Amino acid sequence: MSKRKTALSETDLIHALSDKSRIGAEALYDMYSSSLYGIIYRIVQHDEIAEDLLQETFVKIWNSFSSFDPEKGRLFTWMVNIARNLSIDKVRSKDFRNNSKNQDIENTVNFIDEQRSTAINPEIMGVKDLVDQLKPDQKSILDLVYFRGYTHVEAADELGIPLGTVKTRLRTAIITLRTFFN
Amino acid sequence: MEEIKLYIESGVLELYVMGDLNEDDRRDVEFMAAKHPEVKRELEQIQNALEGYAEVYSVTPPEGMRDRVINKLLHTNSEESAVETEPAVSNEANVVAIPSTTNSFYKYAFAASVALLILSVSALFVLYNQLENSKQQLVVLQQNNQTITSRANYINKQLAESQEALSIFHNPEVKLVKLAGQKIAPEASVTVAFNQKKEEVMIDMSAVKMPENDDAHQYQLWALVDGKPVDLGVFDAEPNASGMKRMKAIGNAQAFAVTLEPRGGSVNPTMEQMIVMGAI
Repeated sequence: MSKRKTALSETDLIHALSDKSRIGAEALYDMYSSSLYGIIYRIVQHDEIAEDLLQETFVKIWNSFSSFDPEKGRLFTWMVNIARNLSIDKVRSKDFRNNSKNQDIENTVNFIDEQRSTAINPEIMGVKDLVDQLKPDQKSILDLVYFRGYTHVEAADELGIPLGTVKTRLRTAIITLRTFFN
Repeated sequence: MEEIKLYIESGVLELYVMGDLNEDDRRDVEFMAAKHPEVKRELEQIQNALEGYAEVYSVTPPEGMRDRVINKLLHTNSEESAVETEPAVSNEANVVAIPSTTNSFYKYAFAASVALLILSVSALFVLYNQLENSKQQLVVLQQNNQTITSRANYINKQLAESQEALSIFHNPEVKLVKLAGQKIAPEASVTVAFNQKKEEVMIDMSAVKMPENDDAHQYQLWALVDGKPVDLGVFDAEPNASGMKRMKAIGNAQAFAVTLEPRGGSVNPTMEQMIVMGAI
C-alpha cells in the first residue's frame, strides 16, 4: 500500500499498452490486478495457482494486446474474459483436478467470501450487499456459467433443469445485475 | 422492432460479452450491434453488469506480485507465444533454467543406463560362451579320467596277481608241480603250486596250456592220495586268464591230474579224458 499507484484514463492506458511502456505495465497492474485476481481466485480457489494465473493473464494481455479492438468491446470485459478462460482451462486441466480436492463450488465460494471479506473493496461493499440479494437460483447459474465456464447445456445438466430455464434464469440474473450497475 | 427484441432476449448477447461465442456468431452480433443502436446499448449494459459483478469480488493480490508481474511484462518477448503458457509453473524467471539441467541430467542418466545395459549383456554373452567351453572341456577330461582310472585299476589288478604269483613261487614251502600232457593232448600242460604245510593248492592260470573247453564241460583237478582220486575243484581254460586260482585244500597227495568232465565236475574221474598228470 505504501507504493504509489499508477492510474491512467482508458484511452491513455490503451496507448501505453500499445507502446509496451513501463507506465503502461504499472497502470495495467494497479488498475486491474485486484479485480482480475478476485475472479481468478474465485475460480481456482488456491493461492499459488491464482498468483501464477494472474501473472499469466497479464502476460497474455500484454502480448496479445494488438488483438484487442476497442470498437468491439470494452478493455475490462476483454481482460476479464482472458482471466476467466485461463482459469477455467486450468481448473479443467488434468493436473489441477488431480491435485486439488474438489469441494462444492457454493461452499467454497461462500467460504472465500467470508475469509476474504476484509480484502473486498470497501467502495463497493454496498453493491455486494445488493448482489447478495440475487435469488440463490440466479446466483448459482451465474456462478456456474460465468465463474466455472459451464456451457448452458452443462449447466442444465448440473442443476437438473431444462435448457430453456437455464437461458431465462441467466438472463434474469443479468438483468437484475444491470439494475445495480447501470 | 419485434425481431430485435427477440434477438436481444435470445441470450446471445450475454454469451458474446462472456466471450463464449464462436467466430460466426460473434461476427453476427457485431453486425447487429453496428446496425441497431438498441443492440449496442443492450451490449453495453450487459458489459456493465458483468464487470460490476466481477468487481464485487475484487481481492488485492499479495504484496510481491506487483514487482514480479511488472518485471515479467517488461522482460517478455511478445513474439514468443509459448511464454504465455509456461510461467504458470515457475515462480521466478530464473527457475526456468532448472528443468533444462534436470532434463539433461536424465538424458545423460538414460544414455549411461543404456550403455551399461549393452555392456552388461555383451559381458554376459562372453561369460556364457566361456562357461559352455569349460563345460565341454570338463566332459572330455572326465571321460579321459575314467579311461585312465579303469586302466589303472586293470594294471593294479594285474600287478597284484603277479605279485601274488611271485610271492607263491618264491615261497620255499611251495612246491611247483608240472602236469604234463597225456596221450589225448600231448602238448597240454598245467602248473600247480602246492603248499603241503598250509594245505594250499593253486593253479597258475597264466601258465595253463589246455585245449579250450566248451560250455558243457569243465576241467577238474584231482589229487591222487594213496592211489585214490580226490576232487580238488573245477576250472576253465581261458586264453587270457591270469593269476593264481585257489583250489580245494589238501595236505597229502602223491600226484595231481586233470580230466575233462561235464560242467560242475564228477564224483569219479573219467579216466579216458585225462589230459595232464604229474607226480609230486
